[in-house]
Amino acid sequence: MTGVPFHRRAETKLALRYLTALLLVVIFVFPIYWLFAISFKTPGEIFAFPPVWYPKSIQFNNYAVLFKDGDAKTVGNSLVLASVSTFFAMIFGTAAAYSLARFKTGGENLAVWIISQRMMPPVAIAFPIFLLYVWLGWVDTYIGLIILYTAFGLPYVIWMMRGYIEDIPLELEESALIDGCSRWEVLWKVVFPMARSGLFATAVFTFVFSWNDFLFALVLTRTEVITYTVQVTHYFGGQSNFWSKIAAMSVLGTIPVFITVATLQRYLVRGISMGAVKG
Amino acid sequence: MAAIVHPDRNFKYWLISPAIFLLLLIGLFPLIFSLVVSFMRVTMLETDTSFAGFVNFVQLFRDGRLWQSLAHTVLIMVVALPIELLLGLAMAYLFLDRMPGRQILVSLLMLPTIISPIVAGATWRLLLDNRYGPINQIIGWFAGHPVPALWTVNPTLVYPAIIFCEIWQWTPFMFLILLAALSNVDRSLTEAAEIDGARFWRSFRYVVLPAIFPVMSVAILIRGLDLFRIFDIIWALTTGGPGTMTETISVYTYVQGFKQFETSYTAAIAFLVIALLTVVVTWAIRRMGLAK
Amino acid sequence: MINRRDFGKIGLAAGLSATMGTPAWAASGADTAVKAAQKYKGLSITVVWEAGLQSLDPTHFSGPKWKELTGMDVKVVEVATAEMFTKIMQDYKSGAGAYDALNVIPAWMPDLAQAGALEVLDPYVQKYSYASELQTIAPTFRDNWMKVGDKIYAFPDDGDVFIMYYRRDIFGDPAVQKAFKDKTGKDLAVPKTWADFDVVGAGLTDILKSKGIYGASFFRQPPYAMYMFEERFRNEGGKFFDANTMKATINSDVGVKVFTGMRNENKFMPPGVEQFGFVENLAAFLQGQSAMTISWPPYGRWAEGYGTDQEALNWVPKTTIAGKVGYALPPGGHPELAAGFALSISSTSKNKDAAYLFIQWLNSEDVSRQRVQLPYTLRDPFRNSHYTDPGYLALWPNAKDYLAALKQASQTGLLDLSLLQTDKYEEVMRQAISKLWAGEDPKTILDAAAVQWDDITQKIGLDKQKNVYAAWAAKSGAYPKL
Repeated sequence: MTGVPFHRRAETKLALRYLTALLLVVIFVFPIYWLFAISFKTPGEIFAFPPVWYPKSIQFNNYAVLFKDGDAKTVGNSLVLASVSTFFAMIFGTAAAYSLARFKTGGENLAVWIISQRMMPPVAIAFPIFLLYVWLGWVDTYIGLIILYTAFGLPYVIWMMRGYIEDIPLELEESALIDGCSRWEVLWKVVFPMARSGLFATAVFTFVFSWNDFLFALVLTRTEVITYTVQVTHYFGGQSNFWSKIAAMSVLGTIPVFITVATLQRYLVRGISMGAVKG
Repeated sequence: MAAIVHPDRNFKYWLISPAIFLLLLIGLFPLIFSLVVSFMRVTMLETDTSFAGFVNFVQLFRDGRLWQSLAHTVLIMVVALPIELLLGLAMAYLFLDRMPGRQILVSLLMLPTIISPIVAGATWRLLLDNRYGPINQIIGWFAGHPVPALWTVNPTLVYPAIIFCEIWQWTPFMFLILLAALSNVDRSLTEAAEIDGARFWRSFRYVVLPAIFPVMSVAILIRGLDLFRIFDIIWALTTGGPGTMTETISVYTYVQGFKQFETSYTAAIAFLVIALLTVVVTWAIRRMGLAK
Repeated sequence: MINRRDFGKIGLAAGLSATMGTPAWAASGADTAVKAAQKYKGLSITVVWEAGLQSLDPTHFSGPKWKELTGMDVKVVEVATAEMFTKIMQDYKSGAGAYDALNVIPAWMPDLAQAGALEVLDPYVQKYSYASELQTIAPTFRDNWMKVGDKIYAFPDDGDVFIMYYRRDIFGDPAVQKAFKDKTGKDLAVPKTWADFDVVGAGLTDILKSKGIYGASFFRQPPYAMYMFEERFRNEGGKFFDANTMKATINSDVGVKVFTGMRNENKFMPPGVEQFGFVENLAAFLQGQSAMTISWPPYGRWAEGYGTDQEALNWVPKTTIAGKVGYALPPGGHPELAAGFALSISSTSKNKDAAYLFIQWLNSEDVSRQRVQLPYTLRDPFRNSHYTDPGYLALWPNAKDYLAALKQASQTGLLDLSLLQTDKYEEVMRQAISKLWAGEDPKTILDAAAVQWDDITQKIGLDKQKNVYAAWAAKSGAYPKL
C-alpha cells in the first residue's frame, strides 16, 4: 500500500482520463466545428487570410434558405432511406446471423459468399444495377433505393451480429428452451436483449453506410428521390462553391444522426446487467 | 429430441432466406452482367458484343497503372488499419468506465463518420489550404514562422495527408465497435484475474482479447475491405494526383468506368478485384478462425 | 379560333420580336417556338442542367416563363458538372430515355455524337425556321460549337471565354509606375505577351508585397490550369499533334517553355497558389490581393458587385474593387473558349419536338438576351446582339469596356481541344500539371504525356482520330493566326 490515499489516486486517474478524452474529442471534432462555423460565416470570413476561427455574427439565414428552397427535403429523403433500410437489414441480417452462428447454415462457403458482396467495386456494379432498375422501373424511387441499401447492409450486419451472438453463452438459450420457450421466443427474449449493445453498434454503422452512399444515389436518382449526399455535391460547381450551403446542409444532416446516437447510448454499455444474470 | 430436430431444420432456413433473397436480387445480375461483358468489347463509342476472348484480361496484366493503383491501395491499408485499430482500442478503454458527460463525448466522437465522406474530403481540403485553412496556420504558430506546406500538391505530403484524414474519419468506427465489445466482457472474469495478481497486459491477452476477438476480427475485416475501396477522401484531396501517385484501385476504376466508359475493361478489373479479395479474405477468415 | 388568352400571348410574342428590330412579319425564333408549343400544353419534359448556380436560370426564370407561355412543364434534372457526361451517357446506353433536353460542353460533342446520343437538329431548325437566328450567334461560337461534321447537334448557349482582369487603380498609380520603371526600366502596362507578363507580375509583387498584394494569381488546380495551358501553348505557337503523323507534339520546345513559365510564375503569386481553384482565386482577386488574374466572364460582373446582393450569390466574397477593374485579352491575344455550354436533344428522348421547341426558345435572340442579364446567371453573352445590348451596357459604369472585351475575346478565341475520347487526353494533361506542381522536370513530364497521348490515339484508331483532329483543326478557332 502506498502513502497516497486510495480515492485520491482514483481521482487523479479520472482527471487524467477526462483530460485525454477531451483532447481527443477536440481533435476529432475540430473539422466539424470548422464546418459548423462556415455555416455562419460570410464568404469574406470563409476565405479570409489569415483564417478566421469564428464568425462575427450568428445568423441562421443559410439554414432558412435550405428550407425555403426545398433542399432540406433531401436530408429527409436520406433519413427515410437509411432508417428503413437499416431496420430491415437489422432484422433480416440478425436472423441470418443467428442461423449462421448457431446452426452453421451453409458452412464457410455461404459466409464467404455473403461477405464477398462487399468486395464488388461499386463503380463496376453501378451501371448493371442501373440497367436492372430501369427494367424493373425502380429508378428514382424510394423502394428501389431502400431495397438496394438493405441488400448492401446485410453482409455487414450478418457478419457483425454473428460475432456478437457467438459471444452469448449457449447455456442461456438452452436453459430457456428447456423452460419451454419456442425458438422464436428464445430469439426475442434471450438473444436480442443480450446482444443489445452489439445491435446498437451495428445499427449505427449500417445506418451510416447507407447515409453516406453517394455513387448509387447518384446513378439511381434523377429528381424525385435526391439524397443529401448527392444534393451536397450540387453545391460544388465549376464556377461556384456554395460553402455556406454545404456547411449548413452538412450540419442539418448530422443533427438527427447525432441525436439518435446520443439517446441510444445507454444500450451500448451493458455493465451491471451482465453481472446480474451471471450471479 | 426428435421433436426438436424437426423445427430446427426449417427454422434455420427461414431465418436466413429473406437475407439470401435480397442479396441474390441485387447481387446476381451485376455479377452475371460483368462476367458476360468482360468477354466483349463494350466501350464508350462501340458496343461490340461479339465474343472477344480474354483480351480484356490480358490487358489487365499489362496495365502498369492498374498494378500501381493496387500497390497504392495496399500501402494505405497497411498503414491506416493498424493505427485505426490500436487507436480505437485505446480510446475504447479510455471511455469504458464511467466519466462525467461520457454520453455526449462518445456521441461527439461519432461525428467524423456521420459527415458525408465527400463533405469531409472537401472540408479537409479547405482546412489544409495554405492560405485559407487553419492547419498551416496552427503549424506556423508552433514553428514560429509561416510553413507553406502544400498538402495536396507536394508528393511527400500527400500520403500523410490522405492517411491522416482517413484515420480521422474512421477510427470512431473501430472505437464504437470495440467499446461495445469491451463493455460486454464479463467483469467478473477481469476482476478475478486482477485479484489473482495478473497485470493489465496478461489480463488483456488471456481474458479480454479472446472475449472481444470475434467482434474485433469482423471489424478488422470490414474496415479492411472498406479501406480497399477508399475513394472519396482521395478524390476530394488529390483526385489521385500528383500524376497518378495517390491513385487507388477505386479511383482508377472510377475513371475507367465512369468517365471513360470502358465498360468491358472495368468489368474485367472488377473480377480481378473480387478474385484477389476472395483469396485474401478466405485466408484471413481461416487465420482468424471466423467460420469454424 | 383565337381567343383572348391567345391574343395576349401572340401580342406578347409580337411585341418581343418587335423590340428586336426584326420586321413584325418575320416571326422570331422565340415567337415561333411558343406558338408551335401550344399543342404540347400539359406535357412534361426534362432538361439536364449543371447543378447549382447555373440551374437557377431554368428553375427560377426560363422554366416558369415557358410554362406560363405554353403550359409545358419543365423538370430540371440538376447534375454536378463532374457527373454530367456520365449521367447523359448512362441514360443513353441504358435506353432509359429519361432525358429530353440536354446541356452539353462542346468538347464532348464528338464523343456524344459518335456514340449516337445526340439528336441531329437540322430537320427541326428547318421546320421552325430558326436558321437565320442561328446565324446571329457570335461567329466563333456559331462556327465551332454547333456542328459535328456537317450536322447541327447543339445550339451554343454560353459565351465562356477567358478574360484578363486587372486593377486599373494599381496600373494607373503614379507611385507604382515610378517604382516599376525604376526597377525594370520599362513602362508599366497591361502585358500583351507572356514574357511581358512575367516581368510585370514579378515587378508588381516586389513593389506591393508589403501591402499584401501580389502581381497576379491564377486558378492553378489541374482542371483549370489545363485550359490555361491549352491557351498559352497555342498562343506561343504550339500544336497539339503533327497533322500528318498524328503524333503528339505537346512536348515540343514550346510546351516545355510554357510549363517552365507557369511554374516560375507561381513564385510571385500568393504562396499555395498551386491549390487555388475557381473560388480561392476569386476570393483573392475580389479582396484586392492580386493585381491581375485570368478567368471566365463572371469574375468581371461580380467584381463590380452586379448580382452579388442576390441570395443566390451570397457565397461570393464581397468585392472591394468595384470600379477599379480593367478588362483585357490574356497575354498572347487569343483567349481560350474554355468549357462553355450548348443546348442539345437526347436521341432517346420521347418528346423530341417539344424539347426542341424549348431549347429554340431558350436560345433565341430575345430570350437569351434576358437570360444573360439575369443577376445570378452564369450564362455569358454569346450573341452579336448581346455585346451591344443597351440593357446590359447600363448594368454598371464600365460595362461597355467589359462587353467590348468579351466581344473581342470571342472573335479571337481558341477552342478547347475536342477529339474522340477527349477526356482521356485531358486526363493526361491534368496529371501532367499536377506533376508540374509536384516539382518534376517539365521536359520529362511532357515527354511522358506525349507518349501517353500517342498510346490513346493508337487504341482509338490512328486514322479515325486523325480525321476527327483534322476536322477540328480546320475550324477557325483551333489555332490562332499568329
